[in-house]
Amino acid sequence: MRNKFIILVLIGLFIASFSIKNEPIFVVPQNWPKPHYDFNKNPLSTDKIELGKALFYDPILSRNDKISCASCHSPYNAFTHVDHALSHGIDDRIGTRNSPALMNLAWHKSFMWDGAINHIDMQALAPMSNALEMDSKIENVVAKLQQSTIYTKLFYQAFGDSMITGEHTLKAISQFMLTLVSANSKYDSVMRKQTEFTSQERKGFELFQQHCGSCHKQPLFTNLQFENNGLPIDKTLNDFGRMNITKDAKDSLLFKVPTLRNIEFSYPYMHDGRFKKLSEVLNHYTSGVQQSKTLSKQLQKKIILTPNEKADIIAFLLTLSDKEFLFNPKFRK
Amino acid sequence: MLSITSYAQSATKISFNPVFGKPVLHLDDSCYTTDSICISNFKCYISAIKLLQNDSLVWEEKNSFHLLDAANEKSLYILLNTHSNLKYNKIKFNIGIDSATNVSGAMGGDLDPTKGMYWTWQSGYINMKLEGKSKLCKTRNNEFQFHLGGYQNADNALQTVLLNVTDNKEIVIAIDLQKIFTVIDLAKHNQIMSPGKEAVLFAEKFSKIFSVQQ
Repeated sequence: MRNKFIILVLIGLFIASFSIKNEPIFVVPQNWPKPHYDFNKNPLSTDKIELGKALFYDPILSRNDKISCASCHSPYNAFTHVDHALSHGIDDRIGTRNSPALMNLAWHKSFMWDGAINHIDMQALAPMSNALEMDSKIENVVAKLQQSTIYTKLFYQAFGDSMITGEHTLKAISQFMLTLVSANSKYDSVMRKQTEFTSQERKGFELFQQHCGSCHKQPLFTNLQFENNGLPIDKTLNDFGRMNITKDAKDSLLFKVPTLRNIEFSYPYMHDGRFKKLSEVLNHYTSGVQQSKTLSKQLQKKIILTPNEKADIIAFLLTLSDKEFLFNPKFRK
Repeated sequence: MLSITSYAQSATKISFNPVFGKPVLHLDDSCYTTDSICISNFKCYISAIKLLQNDSLVWEEKNSFHLLDAANEKSLYILLNTHSNLKYNKIKFNIGIDSATNVSGAMGGDLDPTKGMYWTWQSGYINMKLEGKSKLCKTRNNEFQFHLGGYQNADNALQTVLLNVTDNKEIVIAIDLQKIFTVIDLAKHNQIMSPGKEAVLFAEKFSKIFSVQQ
């Protein structure tokens, strides 16, 4: 008995020394704003993050155990769904929007293209319940998890309670998503003065700041607001974006400004995935913007860019790819 | 010294009593003949319970969130950890969940989203669910469904109830669902499932059906 106790103490000390040597779990990148997420209400721990990661990759969240979060938020593509304009879910049902890339979510105040979700903890409920996505519900998910000896153990390790609840399930998933921080692209190194842009990238950066930077605001490359970027409405979808939630005509055709970080990997683009290439996106902003009452004021004056200038902007956008984030084994199953 | 000022703990019991006119509410297919209305589901959040003596607050419950479910008798009783010499003549509580709680992320207990009182397509608690059937509803299977919620600005459906009480040990509060059907036209209004004007109006009417049973 006494020996066992000593062994336990030694194991405890070993783990403690290991975690001290380990990097801190969450770091606010240099010169970034304070995260919006209140970590005091859900303090991060390695066990909770690991549990969240297991849940993120587990199709147990879906009705037929076939669709996981990663199905539409693949770690190989900046946590989004490539090759499909509209993401598909359970039984190959096609959704109505392009799944957004997941990163730097601790800074976001609302989620989804229309801001329907007010807190990252509650985000997973939406795809879990959507008939085109996972077609399940949190009650059923929790019931299935309670049947699993692996999960009862993981929940006990994480929360000190093997009784699995909706609250703990959602908080664990949040914890994993909150750790998906991308802040180590070439752009970031340039800002930290560790490297320099090529002359084309620098020209692109200047043009970007002039024409795109007020909505795609640094360092997150989104102002986290809802804007109408002048896309003509797709009559097959009739998606009015933010107005669906607020029922306010002023919000017609407004969608949340997406981050441009890792944009090289998060194609196709726009809420309905209508553009496959960055060049198509730039062509939209120079010659495709539709005038309407709710058009973003930044786009009311026509943007003029030469083909060379567009190539410069694209060269800059490619500096937002963060290899450390994109290929981080820590984020993978 | 400290022990002298501490009060003996005692409990005040609140019993919620969902009724339909006179009879006890039953959740099954047998309809109330006079109105041809059957109730299949009734759930409602009670929060921020406060006791007042005249107009001054004398006691309030911390973390005060309770889900009443007509199908679960236990959920209809609330024990308040009051103290024995507490005097009060009014009870105040909210029907529903306040906006600050609505934007605070995942929570447990009665606020756990597994309780079926949280919207998934758009964040927010459902303050009250009332479901059933009536021949007046020209809907599929004559069903009506009222899911009241909404916490933002004009769509805030939270209601406050203030009632006079006489007994300082047990407070019995009747919720007479029949009254709600006398003030709404089921033929016209039988589905509310999102926040908005209609939900707020219904919630206001709903808050009037609470009364203290002597």
